[in-house]
Amino acid sequence: MAGEFHVDIGPQYEGEVIRKENLYMEFGGPKAAHKFELATVKSLDEIENEKVEIIGPDIGDLKPYDEEKGGGSYPIAILVDVAGGELDKDAEAIIERRIHMFTNMIEGWYHMNQRQDTWLRISKDCYKKGFTSLRELGEIYILLYTSEMSIIEKIQVTIITDEKKIKELLPHALEVYAARDERARTLNDEDVDTFYGCTLCQSFAPTHISIIAPNRIANCGAINWFDGRAAAKIDPDGPIFAIPKGELIDAVKGEYSGVNAIEANKSLGTYDRVYLYSAFEHPHTSCGCFEAIVYYIPEADAFGVVHRDFKGETVVGETFSHMAGETSGGKQIEGRLGTGLQQLRSPKFIQADGGLARIVWMPKELKERFKDVLEKKGLYDKIATEEDVKNVDELLAFLERVGHPWIKGEVQLPT
Amino acid sequence: MTKTIAIAGKGGTGKTTVAALLIKLLSQKGLVLAVDADPSTNLSQALGLLLDDSKTVGRIREKMAEDVSKGRLSPTIAKPEYLFSKIVESLVESKGFDLLSMGRPEGPGCYCASNEFLRASLDKLVKDYKYNYIVMDCEAGMEHISRQTTRDVDVLLIMSDPTIKGVTTAARMKKLIEDLRSNVGKVGLIINRVRGELSTEIKKAIDESGLQVIALIPEDPDMAGLEMKGRPVTELPQESSLQLKVKEIAEGLRL
Ligand SMILES: Nc1ncnc2c1ncn2[C@@H]1O[C@H](COP(=O)(O)OP(=O)(O)O)[C@@H](O)[C@H]1O
Ligand code: SF4
Ligand SMILES: [Mg+2]
Repeated sequence: MAGEFHVDIGPQYEGEVIRKENLYMEFGGPKAAHKFELATVKSLDEIENEKVEIIGPDIGDLKPYDEEKGGGSYPIAILVDVAGGELDKDAEAIIERRIHMFTNMIEGWYHMNQRQDTWLRISKDCYKKGFTSLRELGEIYILLYTSEMSIIEKIQVTIITDEKKIKELLPHALEVYAARDERARTLNDEDVDTFYGCTLCQSFAPTHISIIAPNRIANCGAINWFDGRAAAKIDPDGPIFAIPKGELIDAVKGEYSGVNAIEANKSLGTYDRVYLYSAFEHPHTSCGCFEAIVYYIPEADAFGVVHRDFKGETVVGETFSHMAGETSGGKQIEGRLGTGLQQLRSPKFIQADGGLARIVWMPKELKERFKDVLEKKGLYDKIATEEDVKNVDELLAFLERVGHPWIKGEVQLPT
Repeated sequence: MTKTIAIAGKGGTGKTTVAALLIKLLSQKGLVLAVDADPSTNLSQALGLLLDDSKTVGRIREKMAEDVSKGRLSPTIAKPEYLFSKIVESLVESKGFDLLSMGRPEGPGCYCASNEFLRASLDKLVKDYKYNYIVMDCEAGMEHISRQTTRDVDVLLIMSDPTIKGVTTAARMKKLIEDLRSNVGKVGLIINRVRGELSTEIKKAIDESGLQVIALIPEDPDMAGLEMKGRPVTELPQESSLQLKVKEIAEGLRL
């Protein structure tokens, strides 16, 4: 494929690693304070097609890494600007991520990380073969982008090594990344066709599978939908796998045909229905790894939440560990839900049962940690903690006094 | 093929000393991944390397968990990939070998998922870097490292001092390790810091332990001097008894 380039290009180089002994120099990485890579979708007239611009000293101008003296680490910014009729903002992250693969496809180049952590290495052999300019890197990017992504109509690449300039541009890049993350946080179950499942905990909870969806983080809090997607890609037959979500059977309770099918299959027929958005009837199974427990309090017809770090007694007189013993083991238990803590931020958190507005008690620490969402929903002052009440009688009096919306009948259950 | 050598034994029996010498030796024949899996000691020091304490796998994982709970980790940066890249960043690269420090084992809480990601990361690391050898300086029973790697151990070296108690502990350890790991290749016992002959009582204990002695390492007079000067064990003279014995062990095992 190479032709006019000094080194070969192809997927066979993707697994190639450049260790210090073979290092010529590196850009970005842990030793460089300022670095980033950014793809931007622009309009066709904003781009000078196939232009490569280098700002700052080039490979040939810089001192290489020295075994005795060290050094050889330099700042870098890689800007890939693209345009095309079919391209929108959502494509930016995907295009940017290709920098990783494309760099690794070049013989003698190595790329790690992403965004403001980007890290590139060029090997001694590569330099010796004549790869002495970042311009060549830019030209290779353009070749690979245009040949592999036909959606790109115009492209220009800017590689910056001038630290002052990089520092100047970095805040903008960070803003773009933050905006992208914000969009990711608002990704909903409706937006995707694939959920993920995890059976890592089956060794001690044989009928448990965690269903991981954009609106549902795993019970242990360690795996979100994006993590599930990455893990399933690395090892599709492993304990974390893709679930075609199938048909939506109940939008309020969160029942999906694909999820039911996998539940039946992986729980060896013990369960064949799961509600992702309710703690009643067919709640999600609980293993033992959950970060918190949502538990029904019959006297209030509402829920309490308690997390693992809370060592005291909950308002119903039981501790987390006592409750955990009853909740774990991979069972579906009505009115008991082992959950990841971030689930409290999910718009679908027990939505069929009234959501956060059905919560009447939680430890003070949790209340502080989730103050922002609770305040937004006007619930911060309505939920009792261990400091407010000691038992259910006191809880009921508290709820009356503060006028908890669920107790006052102000919460409408969705239909 | 990557050969994995694990060195176990109770504290103070010379695991780190032997591991460091073996790593140095093997690094002349191929690329070595040195794994410091003993949270209580410091293989990096024995190898004469500086280690940044924030760069142990344990710390990386703690920091990841903290970032996640505080909402600082981007939701789109997948944890399996994040963990892998941080592990690569934490490698101390040296001539012929890289050092990876595992750090403290996990505290209470659920680590199923992060251990799964760790196992995958370590597998990928070994595959990408094409290590010829992995040498692990382990904590006593290897429970901690066992959860974080799925690699088969080709050679398990159990260290003991020349005491009956040491030998019976070594035998117990062998059983424990074989229970934890389905696949352990050759197991050998090394008796370290031997002065003179082994007593008949110890010989009897060894016979009863079912362990095969592959080396007796004498007390090395050069060690004290090195330690007094704070020099790494790898600076032992080539002809010192420890160096010679480690060479012999490697040859005997056809490493
Ligand atoms: N053969 C030997 N001769 C003299 N000193 C030794 C010998 N082997 C180990 N030592 C010393 O014993 C101490 C413990 O060794 P170390 O390798 O740190 O043990 P471990 O890693 O099993 O805890 C160290 O001070 C080391 O220098
Ligand atoms: S709790 Fe976590 S590790 Fe356990 S099965 Fe669920 S997702 Fe997997
Ligand atoms: Mg040690």
